[in-house]
Amino acid sequence: MDIQTLTLALGDSTHTGRTFDVMPISGDEPVLQVTVSGAEETPVYLTVTDTQILCLVYLFDEQELNPERLNELHENMLRISVPMPLSALGKTGDHYVVYGALSPTSGTAEIMQELVTLAENAIDLLQTFEDYLA
Amino acid sequence: MRTVLKKILTAMRGGVNELGEAVVDGQGNRILEQELRDSEHELKQAKQELAALMAESASLARQIRSEQDSASKREQDARKAIAAGQEDLAREVAERIVGHERRGAELTQTRELLQQRIAGLKERVQRAEKQLADYRRELQVVKTNERVLRTTAQIDTNINSQQSSLSTAKETLERIRERQAREEDRQTASATLEKELTGADLDEKLKAAGIDGEQDAVNSVLARLKDSPAQ
Repeated sequence: MDIQTLTLALGDSTHTGRTFDVMPISGDEPVLQVTVSGAEETPVYLTVTDTQILCLVYLFDEQELNPERLNELHENMLRISVPMPLSALGKTGDHYVVYGALSPTSGTAEIMQELVTLAENAIDLLQTFEDYLA
Repeated sequence: MRTVLKKILTAMRGGVNELGEAVVDGQGNRILEQELRDSEHELKQAKQELAALMAESASLARQIRSEQDSASKREQDARKAIAAGQEDLAREVAERIVGHERRGAELTQTRELLQQRIAGLKERVQRAEKQLADYRRELQVVKTNERVLRTTAQIDTNINSQQSSLSTAKETLERIRERQAREEDRQTASATLEKELTGADLDEKLKAAGIDGEQDAVNSVLARLKDSPAQ
């Protein structure tokens, strides 16, 4: 699966009643910003490497969090990461992210499933962890 | 692998990655790739050597069998010569048998040494294969890490160029709440419309005013029954 094929496929498809708005992010790396209908607030960023298709959503930055409750938040994030379908929680730079990685041989159906799940999970997570914001 | 993971974590804690800089630098990557190529090369060589040794061992086994066959065949000849009273001929055959047995023993010894070398080499191949898998895994982690950093840096640059800044979690939550409220309103509106269309809203109003069609019907049946009691 490559970025061009995916861009074309997503633009024309619906998955469980959702549509996808795809925008390439300019730069050296092939990155797409995918907005899932009904979850527009949490765009999913997608990039394809040799070994995986990586999808991620930004949740919050470290400086947005209440520093006194950081440990508690981390503990809760670790615990909730396991049961959450198709997604895991992580951190890159200052960004806390929810992400999912797929095999590069995945088809569009699996990728769409991942995108929808990820965008919805991101909304649930933001609302769940709202109390930890400063 | 442990070293690579530790290096990545140390670099990240130091905030090296904020600008999407490669954590394990290009140089480190090249070293890893070189190690990978060296391992691949060693593995290929060891496998070739192993194949050659195994072929040699098989050939030796064949020669040993041939000497043993010849020896047992000559033993029968010697017995026949003894039975025929040909003592000198029997002695000559016995000398041949000694020759076969001696060569067989020498070949067996050579083959045993060879088998030891084969066992050692097999171990080396296994070690090299494991090492190779380790290097590949390490390289994958390093490369994925770099890729994630470059990708997020690219996303950030892009978002920053479009908006004044990345929208905060609070702003996002606000937008989520607004959308959820809109959806709820829409659902309420469509439920209201549905009621209007089916007349359910009117029934509800009548009921609220104490006018219940269903209850009236039951009462009227009861009244009728009371008017014509059982005979």
